[in-house]
Amino acid sequence: MSEKYAVIGKSVPKIDGRVKVTGQAKYTGDLKFPNMLVGKILTSPHAHARILSIDTSQAEKLPGVKAVITHRDVPALKYGISPARWDENIFCIDRVRFVGDKVAAVAAIDEETVYKALKLIKVEYEVLPAVFDPVAAMQEGAPQIHDEYPRNINTEIHQNFGDVEKAFAAAHHVRTDQFTGQRTYQSPIEPHSAISIWEDGKLTVYTSTQSPHYFQYYIAREFGLKMGDVRVVKPFVGGGFGGKLEPTGLEFAGAVLSRLTGRPVKMFYDRHEMFAHNRGRHRQIMKITTGVDKDGKILGVHADFIMDGGAYTSLGIATAYYAGAMLPLTYEFENYKFDMYRVYTNLPACGAQRGHGAPQPRYAFECHLDMLAEDLGMDPLELRLRNARRPDTVTPNEFKINSCELKACIEKVREISGWDKKKGKLPHGRGIGIAVGSFVSGAGYPIYRTNLPHSAAMIKVHEDGSAATLYTGAVDIGQGTDTVLCQMAAEAMGYTYEHMKIVAADTETTPHDFGAYSSRQTLMSGAAVKQAGEEVKRQILETAAAMLDIDVSTLDCREGVVFCQSNPEIQKTFAEVAREFFVRKGPLVGRGSYAPPKLGGKFKGAAVGTSPAYSFAAQVSEVAIDEETGEIDVKAVWDVHDCGTVINPALLHAQVHGALFMGMGEAVWEEVVFDEQGRIKNANLSEYRLPTALDMPEITSQLVESCEPDAPWGVKEVGEGATIPTMGCYSNAIYDAMGVRVYSLPLSYEKVWRALKEKREKEAGGG
Amino acid sequence: MTRPLTRCGQNEVKRGMAMYLPDFDYYAPASLPEACALLAQSGPRAKVLAGGTDVLPMMKKEKIAPEILVSIKKLHQLTGIRETPGNKVVIGARTTHNELVNSPVLQKKYLSVCVAAHRIGNNQIRNVGTIGGNIVNAVPSADLPPILIALGALIKLTGTGGERDLPLEEAFAGPGRSAISPDEILTAVIIPGSSLTGSTYFKFAHRRSGALAVVGVAAAVTMEGEVCREARIALGAAAPTPMRAKKAEELLRGRVVTEELLEEAGRCAAAESKTRTSIRGSADYRRDMVRVFTKRALRKAIKDGHS
Repeated sequence: MSEKYAVIGKSVPKIDGRVKVTGQAKYTGDLKFPNMLVGKILTSPHAHARILSIDTSQAEKLPGVKAVITHRDVPALKYGISPARWDENIFCIDRVRFVGDKVAAVAAIDEETVYKALKLIKVEYEVLPAVFDPVAAMQEGAPQIHDEYPRNINTEIHQNFGDVEKAFAAAHHVRTDQFTGQRTYQSPIEPHSAISIWEDGKLTVYTSTQSPHYFQYYIAREFGLKMGDVRVVKPFVGGGFGGKLEPTGLEFAGAVLSRLTGRPVKMFYDRHEMFAHNRGRHRQIMKITTGVDKDGKILGVHADFIMDGGAYTSLGIATAYYAGAMLPLTYEFENYKFDMYRVYTNLPACGAQRGHGAPQPRYAFECHLDMLAEDLGMDPLELRLRNARRPDTVTPNEFKINSCELKACIEKVREISGWDKKKGKLPHGRGIGIAVGSFVSGAGYPIYRTNLPHSAAMIKVHEDGSAATLYTGAVDIGQGTDTVLCQMAAEAMGYTYEHMKIVAADTETTPHDFGAYSSRQTLMSGAAVKQAGEEVKRQILETAAAMLDIDVSTLDCREGVVFCQSNPEIQKTFAEVAREFFVRKGPLVGRGSYAPPKLGGKFKGAAVGTSPAYSFAAQVSEVAIDEETGEIDVKAVWDVHDCGTVINPALLHAQVHGALFMGMGEAVWEEVVFDEQGRIKNANLSEYRLPTALDMPEITSQLVESCEPDAPWGVKEVGEGATIPTMGCYSNAIYDAMGVRVYSLPLSYEKVWRALKEKREKEAGGG
Repeated sequence: MTRPLTRCGQNEVKRGMAMYLPDFDYYAPASLPEACALLAQSGPRAKVLAGGTDVLPMMKKEKIAPEILVSIKKLHQLTGIRETPGNKVVIGARTTHNELVNSPVLQKKYLSVCVAAHRIGNNQIRNVGTIGGNIVNAVPSADLPPILIALGALIKLTGTGGERDLPLEEAFAGPGRSAISPDEILTAVIIPGSSLTGSTYFKFAHRRSGALAVVGVAAAVTMEGEVCREARIALGAAAPTPMRAKKAEELLRGRVVTEELLEEAGRCAAAESKTRTSIRGSADYRRDMVRVFTKRALRKAIKDGHS
């Protein structure tokens, strides 16, 4: 028992690994209830149109159809995940705003009948002019998408910290560059799906969600129900990445259909509908200006961004703030200006995707810094070291940084990638690039204003002590929370992981938790679990002390054994003590809850980006570019993370691999493309090109020593942080290989080919 | 007359986005004449179903709406890969892509066909998709037609009027349109005996699996020392149909092969191509990729034989 921890820090098998690989795990789409109906939503074929009439009579007459609903049958109350801009209706009332906007829904006895019924609903539209580009949408005279928002401006941000103009005036060198991102979609393997059962005044929803709590809150609000009369249950979930954080419409429509028919209603999106529902990454147009001194010290930064929000707000206000708020995390500078317009367009609504607003600005900033380094004749890695944030500092936008080992990350990635041997020294066609990143370990404030704790947990030890069940509202969507939290519970209790059970993410049986977003659960849910575990342990030790007639302070408990610290011969098993507790006092229960301290400044938007702790990462990638085709072959990626104490190394590295996979897809291939009518051209997994296993490079994922003072056992996030540097990292490696810069995402083969062609033509022309 | 196995009501109007298979009648005739008779009688209302990797998704997307699907799964004479007298290789039309990949006959004689088949879709697709389907659907980016055309392949067609052989390169009429009559069934692909010394297929796609070709280029050559006696170049995704780059071929015939000559052949093939802009690439990019991969395919076919 020499090791510091008995259960955490170990790659224990995933608690749900066996049921998942054997197919026993039940996802929402697998569930069946007696008399269950199937429902589907009819959506708009037009990007912008007035609804003149809806005739459902033919559909209603089709045998097997049990209910057809439109806006007339549902509450007119607008909803959204961002309380500042509730702008969605369950069904469009007078206007549709993108191809895929929700118009009506059907419940029928089977899928075949539902699809037939959808075709029998006659909707008469008057097509209106549409706008698909945020810059065009901001012009006077552009089609007005929501009457309340002139020039289609959904969110406008102007933040100014220090004096950027003064900093630029004093700078040795000032440079401006502009980059453009692209629309990407999360593409979880499991499609969205919800089963609604409204009976006896109570609504139960089984759904593929990242947050049962927000679903419960918004569903209750929409229907005027008490939260206690809405139960949201999360079965197994096959990935979310931000796209399953807010109600999808399936829950609202399904609830009404269930109330009307008195039967359970299953609703789902197919792959195309998932793309249309979207809530993926915003496309950002990013102008960025930086002033540096002659040694490359950053004096001031101005980020001037526009983002395409699509037809609704979704989580986009937060995205807009995040886009600017995350930039100063990695480098120390005092003067920072951030301007942003989030603009409505007649395209599917964008929301939060892994890394939230941060990855595209980070791509812009990291490319821009490499260009600055070149201007100064500096090694870009040196430039980053010179500016890298140190621990116990405060960002210009008033984020308090406690632990921060970014410099150590950069030094380590330099070493393991062989940077010094490779940078500028690789043969033509090969290149190496660096980028860094940082992310929150849980949002400092919830999405709607409330003083509820962010996480809560309860542990009940079984009566004979042979097992313990953790009840948590935390949401495992594949990332491994259930496993990690059970490890934490066992550690705190002095118990064994193998005897842990878990009941999670059910608003009726488990304590409140805000859910899986902003990389929050290891720290926040973990803090609540630790507290609950410690309460169990305290009761175990007290009972053991009474049983052994020994002073409680001499006892400890570890891996299911209570022992006397001065004489380990004196011991009892956790199980026998737990059983004795039950005999004497009843159920052995521990409880915990967590709320972060008050964080951040007082300026408008100060809350977005606050967090009790921040992760840091440095990535280096090596690429080979085919000069004739522009093909990018990523040979290797080295990722070094500062993510605090590690609970489960295997899961941690899997998160790095997964995040890199997404970052790589967004860097090179992924882009949602529309035709001139605003219809998605590639709403499928063939032409929306996620990388395959064959496309993945060799990945080296390593860590630096780090411990976060304000977190349980010193943990921080990893799940989103590793997506953030990748796009800039590849762009910089491509530049190192070929001397060309691609200014927009994705860095497709064709764009690299074109940049090379233009470079050759320019060189030939210049003689 | 075979009874339909499944009867699912009537067809619906187009809606554009549905991902649910519309209604159709399903037949699985037990003999080739019966299948041809059924097709002849149904005309354009019917479609042959083999692996279904093209037909079913197109039906789900409502791009086609056949009322009748005629499965050929009971026509066992459409299977198998065999060498026949005259050094021919006969490939049954129902042969799956993975059967091509794993065929000892092809691996020995025309590894290039195995390599091309291995680049189709992904493993799940290759397990069910067939060589016949890859041809008759006339998708411009299909991977098998270029290499088969380069090898001079013929297709065997059986209809109510009898049997005929057609050079594969004459089998295409336009994107998604073949030159095969509605009552005809493709039964086999024949690679004739030839003196070709090498062949290869390059697929250029945006990722290494599960992606359609940006361009596909096949080359087959007969070399005598340094001299190219015969060259056949076939392009995929470079025109409305798979096409030969005949001027580039002509350029090579009888010439001593040099890097400059290959580059010239590439440029020539690019000029012959009729690329267009799509989600997979713009016309000028694709045209230049024809140049690059024509050169590379020729180089490999010359150097590495059937590879």
